[in-house]
Amino acid sequence: MARTGSHAHVKKLNIVLVLVVLVGAVFLSTLGVGPARALQSIFLGLVSPFVRTGAAVSQQIGSVGENLKTLDEIEAENKELHLKNRELLTTNQMLRDIEAENNKLRQALGYRERSVFYLLPAVILSRDASTWWNTVKINRGFEDGVESDMPVVTETGLVGKTSTVAKNESLVVLLTDETCRVAAKVEGSVEQGIVSGLRVPSVGESGAIQMAFLSKGADLQQGQKIYTAGVRGGVFPSGILIGAVKTFRARALDGQALLEPAVDLASVEDVFVIVGVK
Amino acid sequence: MKHAFAFVVLIVAIFVSFTLQEWLPGIHSFLGARWLFVPTLFCFGALTFSFPAMVALAVYTGLLTDLAYMNVAAGQVEIALGWSIVYFVTVGILIRGFQPAYTRGHWWILIPVSVVVTAAFLALQFAMISLRREGLVFNEVVFWRIAGAGLLAGIFAPFVSLVVWQAGQWTGGPARQRVVLQ
Repeated sequence: MARTGSHAHVKKLNIVLVLVVLVGAVFLSTLGVGPARALQSIFLGLVSPFVRTGAAVSQQIGSVGENLKTLDEIEAENKELHLKNRELLTTNQMLRDIEAENNKLRQALGYRERSVFYLLPAVILSRDASTWWNTVKINRGFEDGVESDMPVVTETGLVGKTSTVAKNESLVVLLTDETCRVAAKVEGSVEQGIVSGLRVPSVGESGAIQMAFLSKGADLQQGQKIYTAGVRGGVFPSGILIGAVKTFRARALDGQALLEPAVDLASVEDVFVIVGVK
Repeated sequence: MKHAFAFVVLIVAIFVSFTLQEWLPGIHSFLGARWLFVPTLFCFGALTFSFPAMVALAVYTGLLTDLAYMNVAAGQVEIALGWSIVYFVTVGILIRGFQPAYTRGHWWILIPVSVVVTAAFLALQFAMISLRREGLVFNEVVFWRIAGAGLLAGIFAPFVSLVVWQAGQWTGGPARQRVVLQ
């Protein structure tokens, strides 16, 4: 009899425990973006040593042969020069795009001179950690001046934007993710649209991105380049290369183009975060 | 004391698994399905520990899962924090129905349980994303990413049971304790 009573008591306690946990879960679900990102930032900070160790081990394994042939100092210098070169190439590419657009706008509307960006070099630590989202982790955080929603680029084009930022690490949502939406314009055309990733690309569409909300009669040609449009108050500045048109099709209400990203997002290792304008 | 130690080991294993999962690429043959160790480790915990310990494990696993996969889209958290806690508590309660059989030495129970829990987790995650975004997309890639991850969990599960079995043998515990830590 006493055992039955004790058993019932334990059952009641278990039910109370589950109810308390459910209330806690409901409370968590009410958190806004700010507190949720703060919690995720703490989590990123906790796993950071493991991720960095893994990245270092991975890099060491990848460069064993190279290390046997070269001295550490030469390798470091080479890396530094390589980085500088990429930074200059990126700045150059942006300047050319901006210059072309700037000249056009100056002549037409007398717009003021566009500025150049501050680029923060970063290394990708890990990639594609989840099944449904396309993200990477980079080795720069708020201590380096990175904030949420900053554009991430390489010398060849757009990579994505920062999401949650931890002390020394940040999550970057790639261009191939459906939630990374970019206002874009078509080279040599007045056509504009929204570029985003595909939720789950079909076989054969792997790595592709789409441009939607084009006019039905846009009739884009294969290879036409797509640039960021630079919407006022938006995340991405104007003139960054996104990719090139692969196919175009007219849908019921709009036109949709499949694009080949300018950056090989599956293999890119070094990126730049645009942290400001000069 | 032994149970507490085993619980701490499982907590650490789950934490390390989150990092390990990041380093393992998607399986090309399964159209990008990924290794997910965490649901299998949770299932093992639910089959072996007491009810309060299972709930604590569900809170821990659920919270870390939500934080690991949290995505902000259009200024909102896409899948609200806390849903994984509810998921793991719910499946944990259901899994405990298999505990007597697991206790009797049917170690293979961890395999189907891991397959179902892993696949259901990804299916629910995808359903929630689809509800948030513009309609449901379903193709063979979606199928394989869900089913493939389940199958991979089924491959991983026997190793978890095997490790515990071996640990039980090394410590010289009775047959029941070789499988179940409770």
